[in-house]
Amino acid sequence: MTGYIIRRLLWGVALLVIVCALTFVVFRIFPTGNPALMRAGRDPTPRLVAEIERVLGLGKPLTVQFWDYLKNVFLHFDLGYSYYSGESVRSLIAERLPATISLTVGAAVLWTLGGLGIGILSALRRHSLLDRAAMGTALVLVSAPEFWLGLVALFLFAEDIGKWKIFPGAGSYVPITSDPWKWFTSLIMPWFVLASGAAAVFARLTRGSLIETMEEDYIRTARAKGLPERQVVRQGVRSAFNPIVTLLGLEIGTLLGGALLIEVVFNIPGVGKLAYSALLQSDFSVIQGTVLLAAMFVIVANIVVDIAYAYLDPRVRYS
Amino acid sequence: MSHGAAEVVSAPAAGLDFLDVGAEIAARSPWQLFWRRFRRDRVALVSLAFIAFLIVLAFGAPLVVSLLGLPGPDVQNLNLTDSFGSPLGPSSAHPFGVDPLGQDVMSRVIYGTRVSLEVAILGTAIATLIGVTIGTLAGFYRGWVDTLLARTMDVFLSIPILLLGLGIGAACAVRGCVGGVIQPGLGLIIFLIALATWPLIARIVRGLVLSLREREFIEASRALGASDLRIMFREILPNLAAPIIVYASLQIPFNILFEASLSYLGVGIRPPTPSWGQMIAAATPIFNTAWWYMVFPGAALLATVLAFNLLGDGLRDALNPRGA
Amino acid sequence: MRSTSTVAGVALAAAAALLISACGSSSSGSTGNAGGGASAVSTGGFASPATESLSGGKRGGMLVVLNESDFEHLDPGIAYYAVDYEVVFATQRPLYSNKPNSQEPTPDMASGPAEISPDNKTVTVHLKEGVHFSPPVNREVTSEDVAYAIERGANPNVVNPYFLSYFKAIEGAPEASGGPIRGIQTPNKHTIVFHLTEPKGQIVADALVLPLSAAVPKDYAEKFDKDKPSDYANYQVATGPYMLKNNAEGKVLGIGYIPGKSATLVRNPSWKANTDYRPAYLDEIDIKIGGTNTVIGRQVLEGTNVVQNEPPAQASIRLAAEKFKSQLEIAPGAGSHYIAVNNKVGPFSNIDLRKAVWAALDRTAMNKARGGELVTNVATHFIFPTIPGFEQAGGLAGPKVDYNEHPEGDAAVAEKYIKLAGYASGKYTGGQTLEIVGSRGGPAEADAEIANQTLKNLGFTTKLTLVEPATMYSKYCGVPKEEIEVCPSVGVADDFADPQTVLNISFNGKLINPTENNNWGQVNVPAINAAMTAAESVIGTSARATAWAKIDDELVQDAAAIPFDWDKQANIEGSEVKGVGDLWDVGEWDYNYTSLK
Repeated sequence: MTGYIIRRLLWGVALLVIVCALTFVVFRIFPTGNPALMRAGRDPTPRLVAEIERVLGLGKPLTVQFWDYLKNVFLHFDLGYSYYSGESVRSLIAERLPATISLTVGAAVLWTLGGLGIGILSALRRHSLLDRAAMGTALVLVSAPEFWLGLVALFLFAEDIGKWKIFPGAGSYVPITSDPWKWFTSLIMPWFVLASGAAAVFARLTRGSLIETMEEDYIRTARAKGLPERQVVRQGVRSAFNPIVTLLGLEIGTLLGGALLIEVVFNIPGVGKLAYSALLQSDFSVIQGTVLLAAMFVIVANIVVDIAYAYLDPRVRYS
Repeated sequence: MSHGAAEVVSAPAAGLDFLDVGAEIAARSPWQLFWRRFRRDRVALVSLAFIAFLIVLAFGAPLVVSLLGLPGPDVQNLNLTDSFGSPLGPSSAHPFGVDPLGQDVMSRVIYGTRVSLEVAILGTAIATLIGVTIGTLAGFYRGWVDTLLARTMDVFLSIPILLLGLGIGAACAVRGCVGGVIQPGLGLIIFLIALATWPLIARIVRGLVLSLREREFIEASRALGASDLRIMFREILPNLAAPIIVYASLQIPFNILFEASLSYLGVGIRPPTPSWGQMIAAATPIFNTAWWYMVFPGAALLATVLAFNLLGDGLRDALNPRGA
Repeated sequence: MRSTSTVAGVALAAAAALLISACGSSSSGSTGNAGGGASAVSTGGFASPATESLSGGKRGGMLVVLNESDFEHLDPGIAYYAVDYEVVFATQRPLYSNKPNSQEPTPDMASGPAEISPDNKTVTVHLKEGVHFSPPVNREVTSEDVAYAIERGANPNVVNPYFLSYFKAIEGAPEASGGPIRGIQTPNKHTIVFHLTEPKGQIVADALVLPLSAAVPKDYAEKFDKDKPSDYANYQVATGPYMLKNNAEGKVLGIGYIPGKSATLVRNPSWKANTDYRPAYLDEIDIKIGGTNTVIGRQVLEGTNVVQNEPPAQASIRLAAEKFKSQLEIAPGAGSHYIAVNNKVGPFSNIDLRKAVWAALDRTAMNKARGGELVTNVATHFIFPTIPGFEQAGGLAGPKVDYNEHPEGDAAVAEKYIKLAGYASGKYTGGQTLEIVGSRGGPAEADAEIANQTLKNLGFTTKLTLVEPATMYSKYCGVPKEEIEVCPSVGVADDFADPQTVLNISFNGKLINPTENNNWGQVNVPAINAAMTAAESVIGTSARATAWAKIDDELVQDAAAIPFDWDKQANIEGSEVKGVGDLWDVGEWDYNYTSLK
């Protein structure tokens, strides 16, 4: 087991370096135009542009630039400086991380519980009205764009512009430390919208996986042996977990993207909104920093998932 | 996945001829079975028909628009706005209303089909091509080839695609990237989709190939002296065709939504080319005075994605009747 | 000054901005002089800054301000956008400033008009006594503080955007980098004298209305100005009736200003009403940043003590005009918009093609997309209403040339000019693809699309990209090297009511910069350049108006750019607000005069 963990971690580190290289290529080499000018913010005076060129080391050979960049990221955790906002990218992200975490963790809880719960229920009551309604809704939720769902939710339920004024509208997010109740109510709609897409996928997957498992021979045997139905179901659910856990790993990337859209629609000051604002302002340093950070997060999350998976399923350790 | 197996079905007897020793017993190929099951799935058939309709709409957009008596999607007409510049709503001349520039919304929704379908089909096709190639190679050769390719898949799967899309969109705005080769717009989106989604198909194909290659018919083929390429093309790929189709068609809805999201965020299709995502983005600030501008493109998007999802589900169920 | 909607561009950067008044400053205590042409422009029957009453407001209360966008720079030494001015002019007192309904300056920190020597090379200003800084500095403002305020404009950690434009003539200014400037002297605590190397005393005196002349205490600010960039904005003190809330150490950041979230103005305890002409009725101003423009509009109109202090969304203006008539104010002379075409490189170096586009453009459509007649006037030349020279340049109708005659666009005239340019078919058939960079969001985006379509109809192949306004100016349209052919979303507002501020930096060939260029079209006609240089030194309002109006006409004859809109700024307030807008600040609400009912 430790062997597996070590190998997995090593590969994780290698991945981080490769992703670093990729962002370097995409954001420094790809664009046609002076990289310094593109980071110079609102007032690109010649002096400022020269200063940025010096900081980025644009005169040096590419390999040296990349090595410096790598060192900065890993040793100093320096993701760059935003001349547009006058802050380091790292501090900009740190300020906005709590909002994104509030949003994604809440949504993840909702989607796991909701998805699994509905999936299991639907599987157990196959072809019932509940099953059809649930799967139908799931299908629609999966097919609708997240931003559109968010907009519809706002136009229906937001206090300021909605038809039925129930929940706080866009832009009402406050940190949990300043007003817990307002924090909570302002996140209800975003949580549901963000969770709905993923929950639908989970529900469908859980249902399908569970149904397949329940028809396996060993389940039939368990039933024949007289095991209570509840225990049979539990057996089935446990085995059905495998593809779900795999999906979890893949979904994280999509979750981050979804969080971005929801943050934009609901005007939540998180990392996604930061990336979007940076896009509008063509603030390259910030965009580069957020892409790198997001990729790192996905890598770390996948490592955790893989290790958990290996723990649950010993066969994996020897691959 | 019951490939390589055939079901034995007796031919229908006519009257008392069942006693006739000439009654035939025909084996149905997996394709025929698949098609039979699929035909019975009414929902999937309706979806297929709808998608066919969309394809017709996409190809024949200019014809459809002129048949309906609508102006083209780019025809601006500021006279169709009121004295404050707000667009007019649905009317007999403009069933879906107009947008703030006076452009006919129905016309733009119809032309928007082109973008969505192009992205969906081209992007998915390219991603599938790359994914199948790499997945097959990885699964077939195993060893260091497999390790290398699987690791590459890992790399690509690590980068969140929407953020990357944003980043590339920003980096390549106005002047494009790589000396102007990659320009913002349709090409960039297709490039992004191909880049980010090929590993998904590759992984699945790799898994399938890994299990396939141990089967007896492969061994037999090899014993007969068939080359690697021949085995891959003749024996393995045909058996993969069905799952590839299923997964590809399940990937399409995601790609359509991806383009819509990118256009919503402003890095997708450039105006004045109509794209449903972009129309929704433009419609959001004026929703209270111009609901039609958001509702119709949104409905079109939902319907299209739903249809592809249903089709994908139907295909998958037809290929794998367990778990229906 | 940059307005929020017509970001950048503007008047500054280059040369002088002489005021309406002639030699020396004008008589103080001016009554609403709104400059030439204001009466010609209708405000639809709604209130305007010219008609608002400046006195009689009720004292007390808190005003809530909802703004979608954040401030750009709150440091008085850097502030340049209209959205910043709302705070800066409530908290800082420059040497001279304007009353809401006037374009003529009133002595503010100064005790009287500026004394300009007969040779136009020395400017003396006497300061009021008994004006104090806000806590934690508290002490009296002296001339040295004013000197430091101007000197720090040259500090590379501050980088005031207009320092060199207006103050270059001061001895030692061109080489200055934040330290004392030879030509600025303070013979005593309440006198400041500027010694100039050229006879530009009038220009320097007029520029003292800009926030750079608002006193900054050197002993307190010096340490912040050592940071790169300067941190003074986050610790600033005030001389005006209001101040950004701070703590005992003077820190504003996180208290009185939370970037992206809010700003809070409270009464400045050190401010004395008898030293200031401002009534300052409100007790507190609470600015909330964020949200969506359309939603804010509704919240303001349906609210009581709320205002929006940025251009409202079209939907909001319409709602106000239809249902909340008394809560809407329209200010003429908010600026102008035009399409800048590259005169140097590309097809538009040909004057006939420029005229063709002017003729073909449907200016009424462009204005419809901006909100219609309530907030726009079709532009027929470059000097806009309320700026002297407007009437002389042709007023609303403008110069009578065939490409200017039809605001809805005239395809026949357009065709004529294309043929004159050498394309016999009447459509452009040259191979060049036009790169068009417009700004995203709002009316500017719609205008870019209309311009794009117009060009396509003329036969051009185009590539349209939309980016954020600041990016459009700083990275594309403002950088000549990028060789963008068409910039359809550019706009101009004035720094003060003088035609030079509107025409000079936008069209003077001598003022083309490699970055942050405001002559977007790279217009460079030697005869026009010479005329501008000559007109710079003309003295006297009507003489200047005539001189610059003539230049305006020459620009029209040259089709240097294609004007389409003269802005009127709309502002909305809640039902309990007695808002007073500033004529000189694109009509934005003035916190010093606004009160609650």
